Amino acid sequence: MSTPLWARPIEWLAPRIRAGKLSSESLTEACLARIADVDGDLLSFIHVSATALDQAREADAQIRRGAWRGPLHGIPLGIKDNYFTADMPTTVGSKAPGLEYPLRDSASAARLRAAGAVLIGKTRTHEFAWGNVTPPVRNPWDLTRVPSGSSGGSGAAVSAGLCVAAMGSDTGGSIRMPAAACGVVGLKPTFGRASRDGIVPHSWSLDHPGPLTRSVTDAAHLLQVLAGYDPADPACQDQPVPQYAEALRRSVRGLRVGVCRNHFFEHIQEDVEAAVEAAIHDLAAAGAKVVEFRIPNLEYGLAAIFAIELASSTAYHDLSLRDGLPAHFQPDVRTLVEMGRFVTATDYLKAEQVRAVLIQDFRNAFDHVDVIVGPTTPITAWKSGEWTVKVAGKDQSVLSVSWRNTFPYNLAGLPAISVPCGFDRDGLPIGLQIAAKPFDEATLLRAAHAYERRHDWKDSMPPLDAPSRAASA
Amino acid sequence: MSDTPLDPFKDLLGVDFTPERLQQNLESFRPVLDEIRKLRALDLADVHPAVIFEPTAPYRRGADR
Repeated sequence: MSTPLWARPIEWLAPRIRAGKLSSESLTEACLARIADVDGDLLSFIHVSATALDQAREADAQIRRGAWRGPLHGIPLGIKDNYFTADMPTTVGSKAPGLEYPLRDSASAARLRAAGAVLIGKTRTHEFAWGNVTPPVRNPWDLTRVPSGSSGGSGAAVSAGLCVAAMGSDTGGSIRMPAAACGVVGLKPTFGRASRDGIVPHSWSLDHPGPLTRSVTDAAHLLQVLAGYDPADPACQDQPVPQYAEALRRSVRGLRVGVCRNHFFEHIQEDVEAAVEAAIHDLAAAGAKVVEFRIPNLEYGLAAIFAIELASSTAYHDLSLRDGLPAHFQPDVRTLVEMGRFVTATDYLKAEQVRAVLIQDFRNAFDHVDVIVGPTTPITAWKSGEWTVKVAGKDQSVLSVSWRNTFPYNLAGLPAISVPCGFDRDGLPIGLQIAAKPFDEATLLRAAHAYERRHDWKDSMPPLDAPSRAASA
Repeated sequence: MSDTPLDPFKDLLGVDFTPERLQQNLESFRPVLDEIRKLRALDLADVHPAVIFEPTAPYRRGADR
């Protein structure tokens, strides 16, 4: 049976669209049909664009005129519902009354449109991107489980083939966690690599924009478009943007692959540990040199990110808090916004001091390694409604365990990616996380691609039952 | 000037929750506080926090919005 169009990555689709062998219109129709078929179960989109087919036809016309803009031209993408868009409403997943967001394109939406992408719809976010389950979205691999969050709509949509790739945002792991839980690639670039202009803030010094994609090559294509200076984002840095796809051609022979044995490997599910150890073995077999090390100060990381994220989010919502608006938020989000008031200014600044220590610790580690690998999450997707999970025979709070391996790279602002590295005994995807030095996404992508090539995890599709209405190629 | 005693929550932290809501939030905050206590025990007096004051930012090219 041939692979449906909606299951194809950009790296397969783009050359065919460029050559006129495939139209953006037929690809977009396939994705819209897929949304109609399965999103009643997944609930990954909160808004589907009424102009998607018009955008696709315009892309086809431009390409026919010889004005191909690059690999994203004519590709249907989802965009998380916390990015402003000129032609679709933004809700940030909230039904609280009186909240209105501008109808204008965020910097990312504008860059994607300029690259010729078709913005097919807005994907659901956990309310205000403040959570790790993204209700009511369901995980395509098991509809009784969460897609993780807060970019759970994007993770589920890409995994199930409702769009070819999607934008997410990552404050403590919100791109990488749903990528791991849904079996796709999730890239959080360096803090300051891509503009956050037009993304509803959650925590100013922790928020990162980035893509969820079907392959590492696709992530490189999106990063190529998203990366670059924007004075509208005070944190955005004016740094050179390399050609990321070129980095993918290089092997990992001689690359120093770091493994931080404390924190990242403590209390993780047995199947996750086995898959990640196998991945480390694979990288070694490909010629990488494995270097083990420890960062003891990571034991203070959870305190630091709690203090910074809670205080920042509550500062953003402060006036709403005084007006009683959080009473209309989802109960978990209301609690987080309200209890941010309990974090004192001294706690916040000590958290920023710990952060400085951790940034230096990672800097020191990069004297000896080029990338750092480990499990993206200690656990696979958990059941919807569960707030504790059993890990290594011990009940652990989902709130603390789910993001334990991702938040260190938000605190340190380092680029990090999650790539699929197998399945657990229940058939749920497992993610391998790779991090690199600031602005060294090229090495990050090189290592991720070298691992990805050794397996066919990226070709696995969730076992959703749906009428086969979509076009095949 | 009022001589009413200051309320530690309402006046110092600026929260004005019902007593029941305050108790719920304090209970939810307990595991977070357990972590934050670790921060409070650290001697970091010689560490500059990862917060940089940059007065030149508004003067950068194009930063006029």
